[in-house]
Amino acid sequence: MDILESLSVALEALRAHKLRSFLTMLGVIIGVAAVIALVSVGQTARSSVVGEFASLGPDLLWVLPGKAKEDSPFPTEEARLTLTYEDARAIEREAVFAVEVTPMLQTSVEVTGSGRKTTTTVIGTTPNLLVVRDMALQAGRFLQESDMSRRRRIVVLGPSLAQRLYRVPRNAVGRKLTINGRAFDVVGILQPEGGILGVDLDDRAYLPLTTAQQLFNINYASFLFVKAKDVESVSRAERETERILLRKHGEEDFTVLTQSQLLVSLSAILGILTIALSSIAAISLVVGGIGIMNIMLVSVTERTREIGIRKAIGARRLDILTQFLIEAVGISLVGGILGMGAGLAISWGISLRLFHSVPTIAATLPVVVLAFSFSALVGVIFGVYPAWRAANLHPIEALRYE
Amino acid sequence: MTVGRTLPAAGPLVALRDITKVYQMGRVTVPALQGVSLEIAPGQFVAIMGPSGSGKSTLMNLIGCLDRPSSGTYLLDGQDVSRLDDDELADIRNRRIGFVFQTFNLLSRYTALRNVEMPMIYATVPRAERRRRALRALEQVGLAARVQHTPQELSGGEQQRVAIARALVNEPAILLADEPTGNLDSRSGEEILAVVQDLNARGITIAVVTHDRDVAQHARRILQLRDGRLVRDEPVPQPLVARPALA
Repeated sequence: MDILESLSVALEALRAHKLRSFLTMLGVIIGVAAVIALVSVGQTARSSVVGEFASLGPDLLWVLPGKAKEDSPFPTEEARLTLTYEDARAIEREAVFAVEVTPMLQTSVEVTGSGRKTTTTVIGTTPNLLVVRDMALQAGRFLQESDMSRRRRIVVLGPSLAQRLYRVPRNAVGRKLTINGRAFDVVGILQPEGGILGVDLDDRAYLPLTTAQQLFNINYASFLFVKAKDVESVSRAERETERILLRKHGEEDFTVLTQSQLLVSLSAILGILTIALSSIAAISLVVGGIGIMNIMLVSVTERTREIGIRKAIGARRLDILTQFLIEAVGISLVGGILGMGAGLAISWGISLRLFHSVPTIAATLPVVVLAFSFSALVGVIFGVYPAWRAANLHPIEALRYE
Repeated sequence: MTVGRTLPAAGPLVALRDITKVYQMGRVTVPALQGVSLEIAPGQFVAIMGPSGSGKSTLMNLIGCLDRPSSGTYLLDGQDVSRLDDDELADIRNRRIGFVFQTFNLLSRYTALRNVEMPMIYATVPRAERRRRALRALEQVGLAARVQHTPQELSGGEQQRVAIARALVNEPAILLADEPTGNLDSRSGEEILAVVQDLNARGITIAVVTHDRDVAQHARRILQLRDGRLVRDEPVPQPLVARPALA
């Protein structure tokens, strides 16, 4: 029997049980869709997060409280607050390659402005953040040294926070913002920065560090930003910072991270996450395959007599085997195509929402090819046994089957 | 594998020598045939009779190459087919044997035409020729007007005629019919016997298994089986002639 004939026989059999074929297919559709969606969202997450961190500037270093264990760049022990404004000033004073240091005291609180309440990230920092992070204002001014020394109750807002509270960001300058029951004057609005890891960097309120420390009754900073003199001197800035802090603290209760270290480990973490998630998705593809096997075994039993008839009039074992195998592969391939469509649609939707970008064709193509061939493989693997059973039925017994 | 008619029509078409068939039912062995020898010449019309359990169905399955004997040899048109493997037997069935069953055994999803085309699909006959030959076979059994009907849309007698067309379409050496009238009313049964007799008159070798003496009387020779042995083998002096349907 030629392959075209086998194909049409298999398709007829599938059409004869439309609902059953579709339900069986659903297992593969869900499996393939899940694999494609998770892998391509994972890839988009990776490239967009890496891109976001890279855009912070290659000359940036982070000083985090707590000491990192050997296999992770991030502090793993209980993060004690050990970094202070004084540390920042000391590094700035003594270092040659670490030119700007900005302490960041970061906390999430409820704020009220223009009668509206919202929860936002409030950051106590110093005026040089503008230089360190390469930020720009769209209205008003940023924090100044005099704000620091006088602990002024002034605040600079990110544009999306300003918009949420005051509707038109530019008009927010001069209005009042209440934090922890204290009224603050809005003095400036920043230019939009975008988001990182799905976190909106524009949903922020910046206060003078001194004011924030008084407001929250904390003397420490959450972490420090260090800006190296230039890209070439990043590692020298790192060593300088470590040396100065070690001398001041007497122990290594902090971790200095460069941007490249951060990127490598972030990318690795996201990669592992993607692999873990898509492995779970792949399991559903296997479950789909078991569904195919199940329904094919039912189909072989139901059509025992048909198999007997076909054998009596001259079907060889291979003819029967291919007929049932094509049926199984047909289910899994059609399921694979539908699942591919669903998976791509889902991954585009998620990527657009979370990362404001769509997966590139170059990134998706291997996943699509892989998921597609995997689904065909599932059909073959789980179709072979039922087809083999059908092919090896004895013609007389098959004809006698009621 | 090609199966040609290696011998001229002079030799027997079917030659069984001391055939036995033993079924293993768990620990018990059941002898179904115990040393059957017989010959069927080309162009003959043989009825195989016997009570149930006499081995007539087993004999039919062996002649039809659906099964292999436990011992003995079977020459089909001079070729020893008693030791062939499953796929070789499938080829023999496809090209040399035509089956007609009591329950018709048509595929219900397919039209009459598609059912008749099926043996040629396994013989890899090209599509156009398949169609042409199937139509001709259906015409021969008087169903030219119903080729696009599915089995459910046909009467029992018509379904059996489709089955006969399917059995003949690959031009087999022998037509084997197992109780071909068993599921039909007497009128339709008569029609089917008329078709079979007509085919035999055109030179096709036929073997019919039946327990119905009336049906057997349409053949030209009757083989009687009992307890797995051939107990009688005699010609029918005056075969009954079935009246064909009024077309």
